[in-house]
Amino acid sequence: MSYDNVIELRELQRYYKMGAETVKALDGIELEIRRGEYVSIVGPSGSGKTTLFNLVGGLDKPTNGSVFIDGVDISQLDAYELAWLRCRKIGYIFQSFNLIQVLTALENVSLPTVFAGTPHDEGLKKAEKLLDQVGLSDRINHRPTELSAGQQQRVAIARALANDPAIILADEPTGNLDLNTGMEIIDLLHGLNKMRGLTLVAATHDLKMIKASDRIVWMRDGVVERIERG
Amino acid sequence: MKMNKEATGRVHFTLMDAVRLGRGYIRRRLDRSLINIASIALGLSFYTTMVISDLLYSTSARLGGGQVAVESYQYWLVAVSLVVSIVGITNAMLIAVYERYREIGTMKCLGALDRHIVLLFLVESFYQGLVGGLVGFSFGLASAIVITGFGAGFDIVLYAPRVSLLIIFVGSVSLAMALSMVATLYPAWRASKLNPVEALRYEL
Repeated sequence: MSYDNVIELRELQRYYKMGAETVKALDGIELEIRRGEYVSIVGPSGSGKTTLFNLVGGLDKPTNGSVFIDGVDISQLDAYELAWLRCRKIGYIFQSFNLIQVLTALENVSLPTVFAGTPHDEGLKKAEKLLDQVGLSDRINHRPTELSAGQQQRVAIARALANDPAIILADEPTGNLDLNTGMEIIDLLHGLNKMRGLTLVAATHDLKMIKASDRIVWMRDGVVERIERG
Repeated sequence: MKMNKEATGRVHFTLMDAVRLGRGYIRRRLDRSLINIASIALGLSFYTTMVISDLLYSTSARLGGGQVAVESYQYWLVAVSLVVSIVGITNAMLIAVYERYREIGTMKCLGALDRHIVLLFLVESFYQGLVGGLVGFSFGLASAIVITGFGAGFDIVLYAPRVSLLIIFVGSVSLAMALSMVATLYPAWRASKLNPVEALRYEL
């Protein structure tokens, strides 16, 4: 069976111990995200956006509650299954790109296919195609330091798509980009969401990103304050 | 539509993948690799100098030359120098781990398991050990010939048993690779245990 809600969060809590104090980074989040939806997570810094991003991405474990990806409670997964989830189900895009500096654009994009077990040549071909799709076919052998910020984020987007994930998680993807470059990245992500039916969840401050989304989740102090239609 | 049964599977990272990636790291971060290679080569050349000198002196004695032997305390010095080179490599590799915090975090986001990270570091240290071993052996052989040359004649190496030299060669290079990998174990283990969330937040 398949699930319409590709992401479901149930009574999600994440507490941190800071000395004697307990910080409630997330305090009871209930949220469903449908397949193919474009959702913006908005809120002041410290509202729990990044914590939410990490929990949905299987990078961190909740204190209480559950994250369901395609109907599977990911806190029940072992290290192997979690690695597989990160590899195949989810594509990550970061504010600071997080490309591997010693690798070329092509090698960066093909890296996830290595972990997916794709044969080397096939992975490179796939990476070349993806770089072409993000408009970087003439930059495939450049290293990150030889690329502009906007180009680096395009490489990161191509890398996020390498294993055909169901979900793209983006944490402030336009945060390090100027206005025009940011706009191009938003258009690219929006296009991918519409054309490939990718579920896109983006934590952002960027008004233009918020405007393009189907739903806006406003967060404050670790809880969902309100949800708006885009 | 993706099917739910796909929710489990295996990530892959073969030795070949690690070799391909590890070579890239060595080539493109050559300065740090060279420090490790130099460290191993220095320690090892001292070791090979002693072992080959010993062989050459005994060859000379067998041919009727004077009796000179490598003193046992000199082997103690060799042991110390090898330990120093292990510590040096461990140190350099720990710094390499700090430099690569974010990369390690990123790789974990892309599906790397802890042991894949360990494998990648070990492959790098294998190559560094191999090159360091070859360089160290060459220097050791050269200095042994020079040192023994004054007493036993510079051509004594030609009379040394080939098999013994070959054994010393294989032994030295293997020792270099083993030491390099032992020195990398702790840094690699630390790297593999990194929590991706913290690794990604890390600013150098």
